[in-house]
Amino acid sequence: MQGSTRRMGVMTDVHRRFLQLLMTHGVLEEWDVKRLQRHCYKVHDRNATVDKLEDFINNINSVLESLYIEIKRGVTEDDGRPIYALVNLATTSISKMATDFAENELDLFRKALELIIDSETGFASSTNILNLVDQLKGKKMRKKEAEQVLQKYVQNKWLIEKEGEFTLHGRAILEMEQYIRETYPDAVKICNICHSLLIQGQSCETCGIRMHLPCVAKYFQSNAEPRCPHCNDYWPHEIPKVFDPEKERESGVLKSNKKSLRSRQH
Amino acid sequence: MLQTPESGGLPVPQAEGEKDGGHDGETRAPTASQERPKEELGAGREEGAAEPALTRKGARALAAKALARRRAYRRLNRTVAELVQFLLVKDKKKSPITRSEMVKYVIGDLKILFPDIIARAAEHLRYVFGFELKQFDRKHHTYILINKLKPLEEEEEEEDLGGDGPRLGLLMMILGLIYMRGNSAREAQVWEMLRRLGVQPSKYHFLFGYPKRLIMEDFVQQRYLSYRRVPHTNPPEYEFSWGPRSHLEISKMKVLGFVAKLHKKEPQHWPVQYREALADEADRARAKARAEASMRARASARAGIHLW
Repeated sequence: MQGSTRRMGVMTDVHRRFLQLLMTHGVLEEWDVKRLQRHCYKVHDRNATVDKLEDFINNINSVLESLYIEIKRGVTEDDGRPIYALVNLATTSISKMATDFAENELDLFRKALELIIDSETGFASSTNILNLVDQLKGKKMRKKEAEQVLQKYVQNKWLIEKEGEFTLHGRAILEMEQYIRETYPDAVKICNICHSLLIQGQSCETCGIRMHLPCVAKYFQSNAEPRCPHCNDYWPHEIPKVFDPEKERESGVLKSNKKSLRSRQH
Repeated sequence: MLQTPESGGLPVPQAEGEKDGGHDGETRAPTASQERPKEELGAGREEGAAEPALTRKGARALAAKALARRRAYRRLNRTVAELVQFLLVKDKKKSPITRSEMVKYVIGDLKILFPDIIARAAEHLRYVFGFELKQFDRKHHTYILINKLKPLEEEEEEEDLGGDGPRLGLLMMILGLIYMRGNSAREAQVWEMLRRLGVQPSKYHFLFGYPKRLIMEDFVQQRYLSYRRVPHTNPPEYEFSWGPRSHLEISKMKVLGFVAKLHKKEPQHWPVQYREALADEADRARAKARAEASMRARASARAGIHLW
Protein backbone atom coordinates (compact mmCIF):
# COMPACT_ATOMS: atom_id res chain seq x y z
CA MET A 1 0.00 0.00 0.00
CA GLN A 2 2.87 2.33 0.81
CA GLY A 3 4.21 4.30 -2.10
CA SER A 4 1.96 2.47 -4.56
CA THR A 5 1.90 3.79 -8.07
CA ARG A 6 -1.88 3.47 -8.28
CA ARG A 7 -3.36 6.72 -9.50
CA MET A 8 -4.97 8.50 -6.62
CA GLY A 9 -8.23 10.34 -6.91
CA VAL A 10 -8.64 14.06 -6.58
CA MET A 11 -10.52 15.74 -3.77
CA THR A 12 -12.63 18.77 -4.43
CA ASP A 13 -14.98 20.65 -2.12
CA VAL A 14 -17.78 18.43 -3.44
CA HIS A 15 -16.02 15.37 -2.02
CA ARG A 16 -14.98 17.17 1.17
CA ARG A 17 -18.47 18.25 2.06
CA PHE A 18 -19.73 14.77 1.28
CA LEU A 19 -17.17 13.29 3.66
CA GLN A 20 -17.93 15.81 6.38
CA LEU A 21 -21.65 15.14 6.24
CA LEU A 22 -21.22 11.38 6.08
CA MET A 23 -19.03 11.63 9.18
CA THR A 24 -21.63 13.74 10.97
CA HIS A 25 -24.30 11.12 10.42
CA GLY A 26 -22.12 8.11 11.11
CA VAL A 27 -24.17 5.92 8.80
CA LEU A 28 -26.63 6.69 5.99
CA GLU A 29 -28.97 4.70 3.77
CA GLU A 30 -28.20 4.64 0.08
CA TRP A 31 -31.10 6.87 -0.81
CA ASP A 32 -29.85 9.52 1.62
CA VAL A 33 -26.31 9.09 0.34
CA LYS A 34 -27.42 9.79 -3.22
CA ARG A 35 -29.31 12.82 -2.05
CA LEU A 36 -26.29 13.98 -0.11
CA GLN A 37 -24.10 13.58 -3.17
CA ARG A 38 -26.50 15.67 -5.29
CA HIS A 39 -26.59 18.30 -2.54
CA CYS A 40 -22.80 18.55 -2.47
CA TYR A 41 -22.65 19.00 -6.23
CA LYS A 42 -25.35 21.63 -6.08
CA VAL A 43 -23.46 23.60 -3.44
CA HIS A 44 -19.95 23.46 -4.88
CA ASP A 45 -20.15 22.58 -8.56
CA ARG A 46 -23.59 23.29 -9.89
CA ASN A 47 -22.90 22.67 -13.57
CA ALA A 48 -20.93 19.44 -13.29
CA THR A 49 -22.55 16.12 -14.07
CA VAL A 50 -23.03 14.05 -10.96
CA ASP A 51 -20.68 11.06 -10.94
CA LYS A 52 -22.12 7.59 -10.62
CA LEU A 53 -22.21 6.93 -6.87
CA GLU A 54 -19.91 3.91 -7.05
CA ASP A 55 -17.25 5.86 -8.96
CA PHE A 56 -17.67 8.86 -6.70
CA ILE A 57 -17.05 6.74 -3.63
CA ASN A 58 -14.19 4.79 -5.18
CA ASN A 59 -12.51 8.08 -5.98
CA ILE A 60 -12.78 9.23 -2.38
CA ASN A 61 -11.64 5.85 -1.08
CA SER A 62 -8.47 5.98 -3.14
CA VAL A 63 -7.59 9.20 -1.32
CA LEU A 64 -8.61 7.81 2.07
CA GLU A 65 -6.44 4.74 1.65
CA SER A 66 -3.33 6.40 3.06
CA LEU A 67 -5.35 7.30 6.16
CA TYR A 68 -6.43 3.68 6.73
CA ILE A 69 -10.13 4.50 6.46
CA GLU A 70 -12.74 3.89 3.79
CA ILE A 71 -16.38 4.42 2.95
CA LYS A 72 -17.86 0.96 3.22
CA ARG A 73 -21.14 -0.28 1.83
CA GLY A 74 -23.18 -2.83 3.69
CA VAL A 75 -26.72 -4.05 3.96
CA THR A 76 -29.09 -3.98 6.95
CA GLU A 77 -29.69 -7.42 8.34
CA ASP A 78 -33.43 -7.11 8.81
CA ASP A 79 -34.60 -5.80 5.44
CA GLY A 80 -31.62 -5.59 3.14
CA ARG A 81 -31.38 -1.81 2.84
CA PRO A 82 -27.97 -0.69 1.57
CA ILE A 83 -26.11 1.53 4.03
CA TYR A 84 -22.82 3.41 3.97
CA ALA A 85 -20.43 4.31 6.77
CA LEU A 86 -16.90 5.62 7.14
CA VAL A 87 -14.94 2.82 8.78
CA ASN A 88 -11.47 2.26 10.14
CA LEU A 89 -9.43 -0.24 8.16
CA ALA A 90 -6.74 -0.73 10.73
CA THR A 91 -8.76 -0.90 13.87
CA THR A 92 -8.41 -3.78 16.23
CA SER A 93 -10.71 -2.42 18.91
CA ILE A 94 -13.81 -0.34 19.32
CA SER A 95 -11.59 2.71 19.12
CA LYS A 96 -14.04 5.02 17.41
CA MET A 97 -16.26 4.88 20.44
CA ALA A 98 -13.43 5.16 22.90
CA THR A 99 -13.41 8.93 23.01
CA ASP A 100 -17.19 9.28 23.16
CA PHE A 101 -17.87 6.94 26.03
CA ALA A 102 -16.47 6.37 29.51
CA GLU A 103 -14.74 3.16 30.52
CA ASN A 104 -17.78 1.66 32.23
CA GLU A 105 -19.99 2.65 29.30
CA LEU A 106 -17.67 0.90 26.86
CA ASP A 107 -17.69 -2.16 29.06
CA LEU A 108 -21.49 -2.12 29.07
CA PHE A 109 -21.39 -2.19 25.28
CA ARG A 110 -18.94 -5.06 25.35
CA LYS A 111 -21.24 -7.02 27.68
CA ALA A 112 -24.24 -6.33 25.45
CA LEU A 113 -22.20 -7.34 22.41
CA GLU A 114 -21.30 -10.67 23.98
CA LEU A 115 -24.91 -11.40 24.89
CA ILE A 116 -25.99 -10.52 21.35
CA ILE A 117 -23.37 -12.76 19.76
CA ASP A 118 -24.19 -15.66 22.05
CA SER A 119 -27.93 -15.36 21.58
CA GLU A 120 -29.92 -17.53 19.21
CA THR A 121 -31.92 -14.65 17.75
CA GLY A 122 -29.21 -12.01 17.64
CA PHE A 123 -31.06 -10.00 20.28
CA ALA A 124 -30.22 -9.48 23.94
CA SER A 125 -32.95 -8.45 26.33
CA SER A 126 -32.65 -5.23 28.27
CA THR A 127 -33.09 -7.17 31.51
CA ASN A 128 -30.20 -9.51 30.81
CA ILE A 129 -27.89 -6.64 29.91
CA LEU A 130 -28.83 -4.60 32.95
CA ASN A 131 -28.25 -7.59 35.21
CA LEU A 132 -24.57 -7.40 34.30
CA VAL A 133 -24.22 -3.85 35.56
CA ASP A 134 -22.36 -4.97 38.68
CA GLN A 135 -19.63 -6.62 36.63
CA LEU A 136 -18.61 -3.50 34.74
CA LYS A 137 -15.10 -2.12 34.81
CA GLY A 138 -14.59 1.43 35.92
CA LYS A 139 -16.94 3.62 37.92
CA LYS A 140 -19.96 1.90 39.44
CA MET A 141 -23.10 2.28 37.33
CA ARG A 142 -26.70 2.01 38.46
CA LYS A 143 -29.30 0.20 36.36
CA LYS A 144 -31.17 3.44 35.73
CA GLU A 145 -27.99 4.99 34.39
CA ALA A 146 -27.27 1.93 32.28
CA GLU A 147 -30.68 2.31 30.63
CA GLN A 148 -29.69 5.83 29.60
CA VAL A 149 -26.35 4.64 28.29
CA LEU A 150 -28.07 2.00 26.16
CA GLN A 151 -30.28 4.77 24.76
CA LYS A 152 -27.16 6.77 23.98
CA TYR A 153 -25.84 3.81 21.98
CA VAL A 154 -29.14 3.63 20.11
CA GLN A 155 -29.05 7.35 19.36
CA ASN A 156 -25.49 7.10 18.09
CA LYS A 157 -26.47 4.15 15.94
CA TRP A 158 -24.35 1.45 17.52
CA LEU A 159 -27.36 -0.51 18.79
CA ILE A 160 -30.93 -1.00 17.60
CA GLU A 161 -33.78 -1.51 20.05
CA LYS A 162 -36.89 -3.54 19.28
CA GLU A 163 -39.47 -4.15 21.99
CA GLY A 164 -37.03 -4.06 24.86
CA GLU A 165 -34.37 -6.10 23.11
CA PHE A 166 -31.11 -4.91 21.63
CA THR A 167 -29.11 -5.93 18.59
CA LEU A 168 -26.23 -4.42 16.64
CA HIS A 169 -26.93 -1.53 14.28
CA GLY A 170 -25.76 -2.09 10.70
CA ARG A 171 -23.13 0.54 11.35
CA ALA A 172 -21.63 -1.45 14.21
CA ILE A 173 -21.48 -4.55 12.04
CA LEU A 174 -19.78 -2.63 9.22
CA GLU A 175 -17.31 -1.04 11.56
CA MET A 176 -16.58 -3.91 13.89
CA GLU A 177 -16.93 -7.11 11.87
CA GLN A 178 -13.21 -7.74 11.80
CA TYR A 179 -12.85 -7.00 15.50
CA ILE A 180 -15.77 -9.28 16.38
CA ARG A 181 -14.51 -12.17 14.29
CA GLU A 182 -11.05 -11.88 15.84
CA THR A 183 -12.28 -11.49 19.40
CA TYR A 184 -15.03 -14.11 19.46
CA PRO A 185 -13.93 -16.64 16.85
CA ASP A 186 -15.82 -19.54 18.43
CA ALA A 187 -19.06 -17.75 19.14
CA VAL A 188 -19.61 -15.84 15.89
CA LYS A 189 -22.13 -17.02 13.34
CA ILE A 190 -21.42 -16.75 9.64
CA CYS A 191 -23.86 -16.57 6.74
CA ASN A 192 -23.72 -19.61 4.48
CA ILE A 193 -24.31 -17.50 1.38
CA CYS A 194 -22.16 -14.37 1.73
CA HIS A 195 -19.76 -15.68 4.40
CA SER A 196 -19.95 -12.43 6.38
CA LEU A 197 -20.68 -12.00 10.04
CA LEU A 198 -24.25 -12.90 10.94
CA ILE A 199 -26.12 -11.49 13.92
CA GLN A 200 -29.75 -11.89 12.81
CA GLY A 201 -30.87 -14.43 10.27
CA GLN A 202 -32.68 -17.68 9.53
CA SER A 203 -31.29 -21.13 10.24
CA CYS A 204 -31.90 -24.58 8.86
CA GLU A 205 -33.57 -26.71 11.50
CA THR A 206 -31.89 -29.86 10.27
CA CYS A 207 -28.25 -28.98 9.72
CA GLY A 208 -28.03 -25.64 11.48
CA ILE A 209 -26.52 -23.46 8.75
CA ARG A 210 -27.54 -19.82 8.86
CA MET A 211 -28.35 -17.15 6.30
CA HIS A 212 -29.01 -13.42 6.45
CA LEU A 213 -32.60 -12.45 5.68
CA PRO A 214 -31.57 -10.46 2.58
CA CYS A 215 -29.37 -13.38 1.50
CA VAL A 216 -32.34 -15.74 1.90
CA ALA A 217 -34.45 -13.34 -0.15
CA LYS A 218 -31.95 -13.26 -2.98
CA TYR A 219 -31.11 -16.97 -2.91
CA PHE A 220 -34.67 -18.19 -2.94
CA GLN A 221 -36.04 -15.47 -5.19
CA SER A 222 -38.86 -16.88 -7.32
CA ASN A 223 -38.17 -20.38 -6.06
CA ALA A 224 -41.41 -22.20 -5.32
CA GLU A 225 -39.76 -24.92 -3.27
CA PRO A 226 -36.96 -23.44 -1.20
CA ARG A 227 -34.46 -26.03 0.04
CA CYS A 228 -31.48 -25.72 2.31
CA PRO A 229 -28.32 -25.22 0.20
CA HIS A 230 -26.36 -27.46 2.56
CA CYS A 231 -28.57 -30.46 3.45
CA ASN A 232 -31.33 -30.00 0.86
CA ASP A 233 -34.06 -30.24 3.46
CA TYR A 234 -37.18 -28.15 3.00
CA TRP A 235 -36.57 -24.57 4.16
CA PRO A 236 -39.25 -23.98 6.80
CA HIS A 237 -39.18 -20.20 7.18
CA GLU A 238 -41.03 -17.42 5.41
CA ILE A 239 -38.96 -16.11 2.52
CA PRO A 240 -38.61 -12.32 2.74
CA LYS A 241 -38.85 -10.07 -0.30
CA VAL A 242 -35.78 -8.66 -2.00
CA PHE A 243 -35.29 -4.99 -1.13
CA ASP A 244 -36.52 -2.79 -3.95
CA PRO A 245 -35.66 0.91 -3.58
CA GLU A 246 -38.23 1.94 -6.20
CA LYS A 247 -41.09 0.24 -4.35
CA GLU A 248 -39.96 1.91 -1.14
CA ARG A 249 -40.28 5.34 -2.64
CA GLU A 250 -43.71 4.64 -4.11
CA SER A 251 -45.17 3.49 -0.85
CA GLY A 252 -44.04 6.76 0.69
CA VAL A 253 -41.92 5.09 3.34
CA LEU A 254 -39.01 7.36 2.51
CA LYS A 255 -40.18 10.79 3.51
CA SER A 256 -39.34 13.52 1.07
CA ASN A 257 -40.12 16.15 3.67
CA LYS A 258 -36.76 17.51 4.79
CA LYS A 259 -37.93 18.44 8.27
CA SER A 260 -39.02 14.97 9.23
CA LEU A 261 -35.82 13.55 7.78
CA ARG A 262 -33.86 15.76 10.12
CA SER A 263 -35.79 14.77 13.19
CA ARG A 264 -35.49 11.10 12.26
CA GLN A 265 -31.75 11.29 12.73
CA HIS A 266 -32.29 11.52 16.46
CA MET B 1 -3.99 2.42 19.50
CA LEU B 2 -0.22 2.54 19.75
CA GLN B 3 1.95 -0.09 18.18
CA THR B 4 4.97 -1.51 19.94
CA PRO B 5 8.19 0.23 18.95
CA GLU B 6 10.10 -1.47 16.21
CA SER B 7 13.80 -1.68 15.73
CA GLY B 8 15.48 0.66 13.35
CA GLY B 9 16.16 4.34 13.37
CA LEU B 10 13.52 6.97 13.32
CA PRO B 11 13.02 8.79 10.08
CA VAL B 12 14.32 12.31 9.82
CA PRO B 13 11.67 15.02 9.96
CA GLN B 14 10.67 16.35 6.60
CA ALA B 15 12.22 19.48 5.17
CA GLU B 16 10.40 22.71 5.80
CA GLY B 17 7.79 23.51 3.21
CA GLU B 18 6.94 19.92 2.27
CA LYS B 19 3.19 19.79 2.27
CA ASP B 20 2.04 16.66 0.59
CA GLY B 21 0.90 14.35 3.38
CA GLY B 22 1.89 10.73 3.13
CA HIS B 23 1.09 10.13 -0.50
CA ASP B 24 4.42 10.19 -2.24
CA GLY B 25 6.39 8.06 0.16
CA GLU B 26 9.18 7.12 -2.15
CA THR B 27 10.47 10.60 -2.86
CA ARG B 28 11.61 10.97 0.72
CA ALA B 29 14.49 8.87 1.94
CA PRO B 30 15.19 9.69 5.56
CA THR B 31 18.47 8.61 7.09
CA ALA B 32 18.35 5.84 9.61
CA SER B 33 20.90 7.26 11.98
CA GLN B 34 19.93 6.99 15.62
CA GLU B 35 22.59 9.31 16.97
CA ARG B 36 21.31 12.36 15.11
CA PRO B 37 17.66 12.67 16.08
CA LYS B 38 16.92 15.80 14.09
CA GLU B 39 18.28 17.21 10.86
CA GLU B 40 17.53 20.56 9.30
CA LEU B 41 16.71 21.46 5.72
CA GLY B 42 18.10 19.41 2.91
CA ALA B 43 18.62 16.27 4.97
CA GLY B 44 16.26 14.29 2.80
CA ARG B 45 18.93 13.05 0.45
CA GLU B 46 19.99 9.40 0.39
CA GLU B 47 23.39 9.09 2.03
CA GLY B 48 24.75 6.62 -0.47
CA ALA B 49 26.63 9.07 -2.67
CA ALA B 50 30.10 7.90 -1.70
CA GLU B 51 29.49 4.12 -1.07
CA PRO B 52 32.19 1.78 -2.31
CA ALA B 53 31.38 -1.27 -4.46
CA LEU B 54 28.99 -3.58 -2.58
CA THR B 55 30.13 -6.83 -1.01
CA ARG B 56 27.54 -9.45 -0.12
CA LYS B 57 27.72 -8.45 3.53
CA GLY B 58 27.50 -4.82 2.52
CA ALA B 59 24.45 -5.53 0.37
CA ARG B 60 22.73 -7.35 3.23
CA ALA B 61 23.47 -4.50 5.62
CA LEU B 62 22.14 -2.01 3.13
CA ALA B 63 18.99 -4.09 2.60
CA ALA B 64 18.46 -4.33 6.35
CA LYS B 65 18.85 -0.58 6.65
CA ALA B 66 16.38 -0.03 3.85
CA LEU B 67 13.87 -2.37 5.49
CA ALA B 68 14.23 -0.60 8.81
CA ARG B 69 13.74 2.72 7.08
CA ARG B 70 10.59 1.50 5.37
CA ARG B 71 9.23 0.10 8.63
CA ALA B 72 9.92 3.32 10.45
CA TYR B 73 8.34 5.27 7.64
CA ARG B 74 5.25 3.07 7.69
CA ARG B 75 5.03 3.54 11.41
CA LEU B 76 5.22 7.28 11.00
CA ASN B 77 2.44 7.17 8.40
CA ARG B 78 0.29 5.05 10.68
CA THR B 79 0.76 7.52 13.49
CA VAL B 80 -0.20 10.43 11.26
CA ALA B 81 -3.32 8.52 10.16
CA GLU B 82 -4.24 7.76 13.78
CA LEU B 83 -3.75 11.37 14.74
CA VAL B 84 -6.06 12.49 11.93
CA GLN B 85 -8.78 10.12 13.15
CA PHE B 86 -8.20 11.14 16.75
CA LEU B 87 -8.59 14.82 15.88
CA LEU B 88 -11.73 14.19 13.85
CA VAL B 89 -13.40 12.18 16.57
CA LYS B 90 -12.39 14.64 19.28
CA ASP B 91 -13.59 17.58 17.25
CA LYS B 92 -16.96 15.97 16.78
CA LYS B 93 -17.42 16.52 20.49
CA LYS B 94 -16.31 20.09 19.92
CA SER B 95 -13.93 20.10 22.85
CA PRO B 96 -10.49 21.63 22.16
CA ILE B 97 -7.71 19.09 21.89
CA THR B 98 -4.48 19.51 23.82
CA ARG B 99 -1.03 18.54 22.70
CA SER B 100 -0.58 16.36 25.78
CA GLU B 101 -3.70 14.38 24.88
CA MET B 102 -2.36 13.79 21.40
CA VAL B 103 0.96 12.62 22.77
CA LYS B 104 -0.67 10.43 25.39
CA TYR B 105 -3.20 8.67 23.15
CA VAL B 106 -1.61 8.65 19.72
CA ILE B 107 1.96 9.82 19.36
CA GLY B 108 3.65 8.19 22.32
CA ASP B 109 7.37 7.80 21.97
CA LEU B 110 7.43 9.53 18.60
CA LYS B 111 6.93 12.67 20.63
CA ILE B 112 10.11 14.24 19.30
CA LEU B 113 8.56 14.24 15.85
CA PHE B 114 5.41 15.98 17.04
CA PRO B 115 5.82 19.10 14.84
CA ASP B 116 6.25 17.00 11.73
CA ILE B 117 3.44 14.60 12.59
CA ILE B 118 0.99 17.35 13.35
CA ALA B 119 1.96 19.27 10.21
CA ARG B 120 1.25 16.23 8.06
CA ALA B 121 -1.97 15.50 9.91
CA ALA B 122 -3.02 19.11 9.34
CA GLU B 123 -2.36 18.75 5.63
CA HIS B 124 -4.50 15.62 5.43
CA LEU B 125 -7.26 17.35 7.32
CA ARG B 126 -7.11 20.26 4.94
CA TYR B 127 -6.86 18.34 1.68
CA VAL B 128 -9.14 15.41 2.43
CA PHE B 129 -11.75 16.85 4.77
CA GLY B 130 -11.58 20.61 4.32
CA PHE B 131 -10.74 21.34 7.95
CA GLU B 132 -8.11 23.75 9.19
CA LEU B 133 -6.26 22.72 12.32
CA LYS B 134 -5.93 25.91 14.29
CA GLN B 135 -3.89 26.47 17.36
CA PHE B 136 -6.50 27.89 19.61
CA ASP B 137 -4.43 28.74 22.63
CA ARG B 138 -0.72 29.16 22.17
CA LYS B 139 0.13 28.98 25.85
CA HIS B 140 -1.72 25.74 26.57
CA HIS B 141 -1.13 24.15 23.17
CA THR B 142 -4.79 23.51 22.43
CA TYR B 143 -6.18 23.03 18.95
CA ILE B 144 -9.54 23.07 17.23
CA LEU B 145 -10.72 22.25 13.75
CA ILE B 146 -12.33 24.96 11.69
CA ASN B 147 -14.45 24.16 8.66
CA LYS B 148 -12.89 25.75 5.60
CA LEU B 149 -15.70 24.82 3.22
CA LYS B 150 -17.73 27.79 2.14
CA PRO B 151 -20.65 28.52 4.45
CA LEU B 152 -24.05 27.56 3.05
CA GLU B 153 -26.77 29.81 1.73
CA GLU B 154 -30.18 29.81 3.37
CA GLU B 155 -31.85 27.26 1.10
CA GLU B 156 -28.77 25.08 0.99
CA GLU B 157 -28.71 24.86 4.75
CA GLU B 158 -32.08 23.14 4.80
CA GLU B 159 -30.74 20.32 2.67
CA ASP B 160 -27.61 19.83 4.66
CA LEU B 161 -29.08 16.98 6.74
CA GLY B 162 -27.06 18.26 9.66
CA GLY B 163 -27.20 15.97 12.66
CA ASP B 164 -26.61 18.60 15.28
CA GLY B 165 -29.68 20.66 14.41
CA PRO B 166 -31.70 20.97 17.60
CA ARG B 167 -28.76 21.48 19.94
CA LEU B 168 -27.28 24.18 17.77
CA GLY B 169 -30.72 25.74 17.49
CA LEU B 170 -30.85 25.94 21.25
CA LEU B 171 -27.39 27.47 21.29
CA MET B 172 -28.50 30.08 18.75
CA MET B 173 -31.42 31.05 20.97
CA ILE B 174 -29.04 31.60 23.87
CA LEU B 175 -26.48 33.47 21.77
CA GLY B 176 -29.32 35.63 20.48
CA LEU B 177 -30.55 36.40 23.98
CA ILE B 178 -27.03 37.27 25.11
CA TYR B 179 -26.42 39.55 22.15
CA MET B 180 -29.71 41.41 22.43
CA ARG B 181 -29.07 42.03 26.12
CA GLY B 182 -25.80 43.79 25.41
CA ASN B 183 -23.43 40.81 25.14
CA SER B 184 -24.17 39.21 28.47
CA ALA B 185 -27.25 37.65 30.03
CA ARG B 186 -27.90 36.58 33.59
CA GLU B 187 -28.29 32.87 34.14
CA ALA B 188 -31.80 33.43 35.45
CA GLN B 189 -32.81 35.14 32.21
CA VAL B 190 -31.54 32.25 30.13
CA TRP B 191 -33.55 29.69 32.09
CA GLU B 192 -36.59 31.96 32.01
CA MET B 193 -36.45 32.07 28.21
CA LEU B 194 -36.03 28.32 27.98
CA ARG B 195 -38.88 27.67 30.37
CA ARG B 196 -41.12 29.69 28.08
CA LEU B 197 -40.09 27.29 25.31
CA GLY B 198 -41.05 24.33 27.44
CA VAL B 199 -37.52 23.36 28.39
CA GLN B 200 -36.87 22.64 32.07
CA PRO B 201 -33.25 22.65 33.25
CA SER B 202 -33.15 19.25 34.90
CA LYS B 203 -35.91 17.44 33.08
CA TYR B 204 -34.83 15.09 30.29
CA HIS B 205 -35.78 16.59 26.92
CA PHE B 206 -36.22 14.33 23.92
CA LEU B 207 -34.15 16.64 21.69
CA PHE B 208 -31.59 18.13 24.07
CA GLY B 209 -31.09 15.46 26.67
CA TYR B 210 -30.53 17.12 30.03
CA PRO B 211 -30.61 20.85 29.17
CA LYS B 212 -28.74 21.94 32.27
CA ARG B 213 -25.87 19.57 31.46
CA LEU B 214 -25.92 20.59 27.80
CA ILE B 215 -25.68 24.28 28.55
CA MET B 216 -23.61 24.43 31.71
CA GLU B 217 -21.16 21.67 30.81
CA ASP B 218 -21.10 20.90 27.10
CA PHE B 219 -21.53 24.39 25.67
CA VAL B 220 -19.15 25.92 28.19
CA GLN B 221 -16.52 23.21 27.74
CA GLN B 222 -16.80 23.52 23.99
CA ARG B 223 -16.15 27.25 24.43
CA TYR B 224 -19.42 28.24 22.81
CA LEU B 225 -20.47 29.98 26.03
CA SER B 226 -18.57 31.66 28.83
CA TYR B 227 -19.95 31.42 32.33
CA ARG B 228 -18.84 33.97 34.92
CA ARG B 229 -19.80 35.12 38.33
CA VAL B 230 -21.19 38.63 38.40
CA PRO B 231 -19.05 40.66 40.81
CA HIS B 232 -20.59 42.25 43.90
CA THR B 233 -23.69 40.09 43.86
CA ASN B 234 -24.88 38.49 47.03
CA PRO B 235 -26.27 35.85 46.84
CA PRO B 236 -23.85 35.26 43.93
CA GLU B 237 -25.33 35.55 40.47
CA TYR B 238 -23.83 34.26 37.26
CA GLU B 239 -23.95 35.42 33.69
CA PHE B 240 -23.39 33.96 30.24
CA SER B 241 -21.58 35.59 27.36
CA TRP B 242 -20.38 34.38 23.98
CA GLY B 243 -17.43 32.00 24.24
CA PRO B 244 -14.38 32.31 21.97
CA ARG B 245 -15.62 29.52 19.71
CA SER B 246 -18.86 31.33 19.05
CA HIS B 247 -16.91 34.40 17.98
CA LEU B 248 -14.93 32.23 15.59
CA GLU B 249 -17.80 30.27 14.13
CA ILE B 250 -20.61 32.78 13.89
CA SER B 251 -21.04 36.51 13.49
CA LYS B 252 -23.18 39.05 15.31
CA MET B 253 -24.93 39.85 12.05
CA LYS B 254 -25.93 36.24 11.58
CA VAL B 255 -27.28 35.98 15.11
CA LEU B 256 -29.15 39.27 14.72
CA GLY B 257 -30.63 37.92 11.52
CA PHE B 258 -31.77 34.82 13.38
CA VAL B 259 -33.42 36.87 16.13
CA ALA B 260 -35.03 39.17 13.54
CA LYS B 261 -36.52 36.19 11.75
CA LEU B 262 -37.94 34.84 14.99
CA HIS B 263 -39.74 38.13 15.56
CA LYS B 264 -40.70 38.48 11.88
CA LYS B 265 -38.87 41.82 11.67
CA GLU B 266 -35.85 43.24 9.90
CA PRO B 267 -32.45 43.40 11.65
CA GLN B 268 -32.58 47.19 11.36
CA HIS B 269 -35.48 47.14 13.80
CA TRP B 270 -32.86 47.13 16.56
CA PRO B 271 -30.58 50.05 15.59
CA VAL B 272 -28.08 49.62 18.42
CA GLN B 273 -27.48 45.94 17.76
CA TYR B 274 -27.55 46.53 14.02
CA ARG B 275 -24.80 49.13 14.23
CA GLU B 276 -22.76 46.85 16.43
CA ALA B 277 -23.20 44.00 13.97
CA LEU B 278 -22.09 46.19 11.07
CA ALA B 279 -18.96 47.19 12.97
CA ASP B 280 -18.29 43.51 13.69
CA GLU B 281 -18.63 42.70 9.98
CA ALA B 282 -16.12 45.41 9.11
CA ASP B 283 -13.67 44.06 11.69
CA ARG B 284 -13.99 40.55 10.32
CA ALA B 285 -13.43 41.71 6.75
CA ARG B 286 -10.29 43.55 7.81
CA ALA B 287 -8.96 40.58 9.76
CA LYS B 288 -9.64 38.28 6.82
CA ALA B 289 -7.82 40.58 4.40
CA ARG B 290 -4.84 40.76 6.73
CA ALA B 291 -4.74 36.96 7.13
CA GLU B 292 -4.91 36.43 3.38
CA ALA B 293 -2.14 38.94 2.75
CA SER B 294 0.19 37.32 5.25
CA MET B 295 -0.61 33.86 3.87
CA ARG B 296 0.33 35.04 0.40
CA ALA B 297 3.55 36.48 1.74
CA ARG B 298 4.43 33.24 3.48
CA ALA B 299 3.62 31.18 0.41
CA SER B 300 5.91 33.23 -1.81
CA ALA B 301 8.67 33.05 0.81
CA ARG B 302 8.32 29.28 0.94
CA ALA B 303 8.41 29.06 -2.84
CA GLY B 304 11.67 30.96 -2.71
CA ILE B 305 13.45 28.34 -0.60
CA HIS B 306 11.84 25.30 -2.23
CA LEU B 307 14.77 23.07 -3.05
CA TRP B 308 13.34 20.15 -5.02
